[in-house]
Amino acid sequence: MAQRWQPDFEQLVDEHQSMVFSLAWRMTGDRGLAEEVAQDVFLELDRHMERIESPEHALNWLRRVSVSRSADALRRRRVRGVDLWVEIEDKHGAPVEERQSPLETRLEQLLSTLPEAQRAALVLRYQEDLTPEEIAAAVEAPLATVKSNLHRGLKLLRAKASTHLKEFIRGL
Amino acid sequence: MDFEWTDQPEKAGSSEQDREFELELRRAMERRPAPPSLKRRIMQKRSSQRTARQRTTVIWWQRLAASLLIGAVLAGGFGWRQMEERRKGEEAKQQVMTALRITNQVLNNMNRKLAEHDRSDNGK
Repeated sequence: MAQRWQPDFEQLVDEHQSMVFSLAWRMTGDRGLAEEVAQDVFLELDRHMERIESPEHALNWLRRVSVSRSADALRRRRVRGVDLWVEIEDKHGAPVEERQSPLETRLEQLLSTLPEAQRAALVLRYQEDLTPEEIAAAVEAPLATVKSNLHRGLKLLRAKASTHLKEFIRGL
Repeated sequence: MDFEWTDQPEKAGSSEQDREFELELRRAMERRPAPPSLKRRIMQKRSSQRTARQRTTVIWWQRLAASLLIGAVLAGGFGWRQMEERRKGEEAKQQVMTALRITNQVLNNMNRKLAEHDRSDNGK
């Protein structure tokens, strides 16, 4: 009989904190909120540790819960009446990451203006390199919806980029 | 309008510009390093939550033990009262029986004396 995988919480945090934090930041567009979401996601993982069966299960669980908790955090913030997009404008106005090029920063800004479902699909696709089938499993949505969100999101992002990022992208 | 997504844009007739845009997007979306303090905060919060959970568990056990104790005391009191009532009933019954026995004995004595009296009257 195969021995059951024993998850090590600290090791899981080490391995996946960057992924969870990046997903939360790109979903919420707010570094502070992303840190809160990442903390909550890992604390929730701690409460569900006995149900985690394998490293892959842990990774998929973290992706799914990160996207879901980020969406919840955004909704809560909207209910509280904070103008998120104004905040995002402010935050992205400052240099976010030194290693990021201006184009990458601007692309992230544009990404944060997309509808939530499209943003989630694009982040999982391009940050996590997931297939549409894997994204559908992660966000618990029908495959056709995910494909549509990817297509629409990419199209919208490209349209926005062609308006705002002419100076950066060749051929637009 | 066809919104079909494809993993192979080149086959769907997408241009070099599309691929370049996707490449740029992939580059822009590289994972960001988490803040160095994030892990420490997670571990601290986890530890404080565990302590709080343990404290809550202890409180619940204490409440349960107190409830059981109160229940046992109430049940014991109720049982003792019932036994006491039964004992008192039994005692009263015994007293009535004793009184009846005494009455019976007195009546027997009176009856015997009356019979003797009748006999002596008839002998005269």
